[in-house]
Amino acid sequence: MSQGHAVTVDPVQHSGRAFGRLTGIGAVLGVVGLGAALALSGGTKQFYFSWLVAYLYFLSIALGALFFVLMLTVTRAGWGIALRRVVENVMATLPVFALLFVPIWLGRHEMYEWMNPEEVAKNPILQGKAPFLNEGFWFIRAIFYFTVWSALAAFFSTQSQKQDETGDPAISARMRGVAPVGTLLFALTSTFAIIDWMMSLEPEWYSTMIGVYFFSGAVVAILAVTILLVHFAYAQGALRGVVTTEHLQDVAKLLFGFTIFWAYIAFSQYFLIWYGNMPEETIYYMKRQVGSWDSVGMFLAFGHFLFPFFFLMPRAVKRNSTLLVLIAAWQLAMHFLDLHWCVMPILHHDGVRFGLTDVAAFCAVGGIFLAALGWVSSRRALVPLRDPRLPESLSFENV
Amino acid sequence: MMEVTDNVSNEPVAGRAPLILGGHDFHSITTAVATPAESATPLAWWFFFIPSLGMLGLLGVAVGWLVWEGIGVWGLNQPVGWAFDITNFVFWIGIGHAGTLISAVLFLFRQKWRTSINRAAEAMTIFAVMCALLFPGIHIGRPWLAYWMAPLPNQMGTWPGFRSPLLWDFFAVSTYGTVSALFWYIGLIPDLATMRDRAKTQARRYAYGFFALGWRGSARNWQHYEMAYLILAGLATPLVLSVHSIVSMDFAVAQLPGWHTTIFPPYFVAGAIFSGFAMVTTLMVITRTALRLEKILTPFHFDRMARIMLTTGSIVGYAYSMEFFIAWFSQNPYEQFAFINRAFGPYWWAYWTMISCNVLSPQVFWFRKARTSMPILFIVSIFINIGMWFERFVIIVTSLHRDFLPSSWGMFYPTMWDVMLLIGSFGLFFTMFCLFVRFLPVIAAAEVKSVLPAANPHANGHAALDLDAPTMVSPHLAPKGVH
Amino acid sequence: MALVPPLFPEGEYFGLLAEYDSAGSLFHACEKVRDAGYRKWDAHSPFPVHGIEKAMGLGRSRLPYVTLLFGLTGVIGGMSLQIWANAIAYPMAISGKPLFNWQPYVPITFECGILLAALSTVVGMFAFNKLPMLFHPLFGAAGFEKVTDDGFFISVEAWDPKFDAAATERLLASTGATHVQLVKRREGAAS
Repeated sequence: MSQGHAVTVDPVQHSGRAFGRLTGIGAVLGVVGLGAALALSGGTKQFYFSWLVAYLYFLSIALGALFFVLMLTVTRAGWGIALRRVVENVMATLPVFALLFVPIWLGRHEMYEWMNPEEVAKNPILQGKAPFLNEGFWFIRAIFYFTVWSALAAFFSTQSQKQDETGDPAISARMRGVAPVGTLLFALTSTFAIIDWMMSLEPEWYSTMIGVYFFSGAVVAILAVTILLVHFAYAQGALRGVVTTEHLQDVAKLLFGFTIFWAYIAFSQYFLIWYGNMPEETIYYMKRQVGSWDSVGMFLAFGHFLFPFFFLMPRAVKRNSTLLVLIAAWQLAMHFLDLHWCVMPILHHDGVRFGLTDVAAFCAVGGIFLAALGWVSSRRALVPLRDPRLPESLSFENV
Repeated sequence: MMEVTDNVSNEPVAGRAPLILGGHDFHSITTAVATPAESATPLAWWFFFIPSLGMLGLLGVAVGWLVWEGIGVWGLNQPVGWAFDITNFVFWIGIGHAGTLISAVLFLFRQKWRTSINRAAEAMTIFAVMCALLFPGIHIGRPWLAYWMAPLPNQMGTWPGFRSPLLWDFFAVSTYGTVSALFWYIGLIPDLATMRDRAKTQARRYAYGFFALGWRGSARNWQHYEMAYLILAGLATPLVLSVHSIVSMDFAVAQLPGWHTTIFPPYFVAGAIFSGFAMVTTLMVITRTALRLEKILTPFHFDRMARIMLTTGSIVGYAYSMEFFIAWFSQNPYEQFAFINRAFGPYWWAYWTMISCNVLSPQVFWFRKARTSMPILFIVSIFINIGMWFERFVIIVTSLHRDFLPSSWGMFYPTMWDVMLLIGSFGLFFTMFCLFVRFLPVIAAAEVKSVLPAANPHANGHAALDLDAPTMVSPHLAPKGVH
Repeated sequence: MALVPPLFPEGEYFGLLAEYDSAGSLFHACEKVRDAGYRKWDAHSPFPVHGIEKAMGLGRSRLPYVTLLFGLTGVIGGMSLQIWANAIAYPMAISGKPLFNWQPYVPITFECGILLAALSTVVGMFAFNKLPMLFHPLFGAAGFEKVTDDGFFISVEAWDPKFDAAATERLLASTGATHVQLVKRREGAAS
């Protein structure tokens, strides 16, 4: 497809106002969820753990969005520019996660045994870890993560939005200049955040792979979210003809690839610990194979990997809207199950106890996330209107 | 149109830099790529070939003596049961991975610039795999029984131990060698047909023609060919990830501090790509000048390769940091000692060589001038390979020589046979590469032609999409202050 | 009588060969030949021309099904071989782990799957393409050796139901061919 004239994208039709209703829905969901969670289990370990799972879930989506934007920039990708703004909007919710962190901070003594001086006094291993695993340093690191994430999100968001107005190509060059350093910071902060907030729940266990594991799940999640958000936009009358089957096929190819990558990382970690058979490491998987947790683990292997693998293999599926929406929703459910399986066996030792608090906490965090997403999206166009590579993206066709 | 000589400064924010410089058309590409293999052997070729052949001779002597006398001619002992042998194995397999990445992964990511380097990189992969396979073969003590690794029914009723990482290596590396060779050969067929059709002598026509299988550029054939290429690329991608992951499992499934680390699989893969790209860079810097291919192997290509080296080097750096941090975090005294010993023990010099070569030297590639300077690329790529060799040496030897029980501690000192085998393996590699350069088209000419602007069937007749025109915003929403 | 169906049309001539000077003109010519209803014809180029399958009316290659079939065979075969060899034929207890487990067999299973998938893809591609075919009437046509350099051609075979030496030649000439020739089944071109 080629045109001899410059490409026109109507900013009114593709305005983010389509997402405005998410702000209201999200706010209501958030408040109701928070109220319900507090009413059901306020102040108990269950509340904090459910909140943590929900928090890590939505954080992984927002961080995944940051990664996706960084990658599109660093690789000078042309295919994905049409949908970059949608992903940027998800990335732009990162500052809200500082606010959503408050319940975790409030419940820190319930979740992280190394924060309790009596526990540490009993345990020489925890004493050895104290230079790193102490409340003060943990808190400072959290501030650092939120600062870095907010700064990166704000930078790419505002620069992209500015380019909508001025069309200045120097903005693209500036984003390209910052992206590599941004990627390094992303890698380090997301790794240590997951060490601080998830791995230290079991302070005697460790794995060098944990950062990569979280990352792989995050990328699967953001690719699924992108598919869903694009279809939501379609339903509001936006993005049709701009983000096409071709772009979604590429997102589907990436979803296929990163599903395999998640499985590879998950299996590598599991397998090396299984084979080495060292008790200080195997305890992690032993806990996650007790009672019904065992079934959850096996279900993840089939549900998060084998089923999507065969489902997404045919080209025709990658070009079919309905099927893509289905598999995206499925993978998002599986990603939640994955995080639930990583965290909850610490609280519920003998099996799955999925309950209303989990639902309420999910609604609370998710609602606030959705509200932030709606608010950010509605203030600008859904397409980077004057990105110099937009024409290339709009005319992109798969072979 | 003014001839473009630099396709990497002022990188465009819209549109793409031209990949092939110098106003090439299809015929001139054919000539540029085929001529080196058709002309008389230049003197410069002998300058590389003779020393390589000499080193290959050393290999023959070293292998022969080893098989005759036994593993005792090496410096191996208790506790260091693996040293140069496995270091070299992992080193060569790692180098091979770049070829597959360039062929398969860059193909899947639609990176057109790969067409100038993929043929040579794939050839490099095959030769690297040949060098790699040598080492497990000869280190088993009774190499004439190497066939016992295959699941062949036998009179003893025994079967290979499939649960052992060494056997996974056997299957992984042989699969990798097979698939790489197939991928390389399939890619060669159209270019062999070109050589066949240009052949001046009967002998050459028959030789190229036999292997070209009667290729005649039929679109119906191209259709199945392209599908096979895509499928092989799709298969080779997880294969390349799995092979070096399996190689890393040789170490990671053990219980040895410094070896038993869950991040090893992706860390080794990143390191492999890192060293592989370094070797491709080393070879291409020389090849492009020797064969006068500067307009096809342009600064843009080297810029991209340098960026990949910087990225994978950073991933390796990330893995080093994670290993180091978690070793401390684990509070496992053996794990902590392993890392202190690496940096300050008897092999400290190997460790710091590794750090400076792998972490420090690629940092120059943050600067475009370095990414496109042939001398810097050549030197840094060699440093990277030195660093990556030492990385494997450090992992293997420092973890083995001082593990749990101090009374078991020992030292490893290489013997002349260890060193001769290492040098000899380079001899095998460079000899094969020299032969490849001499007789086969070094660049995938058919693929390069397909990325020229003239290859686009819609280039003529319709106005090409004006990628430099600014996107128009609807007038009624024209932003304030911009006209 | 031959057991294998004939590869080329019987008779003196193989068909017509038309030459073009660019990928674009080849592409448009293909569309015209396709629309004229020809079936036994082919386009030839030094590299695969983007989109030419649609211009020729060809469907997608069925090679992926071959790959999938053999890949799955490799996976199932690899896993079965390992479990049978190490747990049934000659049971080996290694590091106290159960005899029947799947975990340590994953690497080789994966590699077997990839190996069979790749081998079948290559063999399948050769089979679909009927390669090697070292002797083909077109190699005798004048100027055909340009096809691996910078030449673009269309060949229409004489056993196509619509083939008529004069009419087909007129059609090809009208598509922008620079040169049209009749190709003999055995060596050399007729004109």
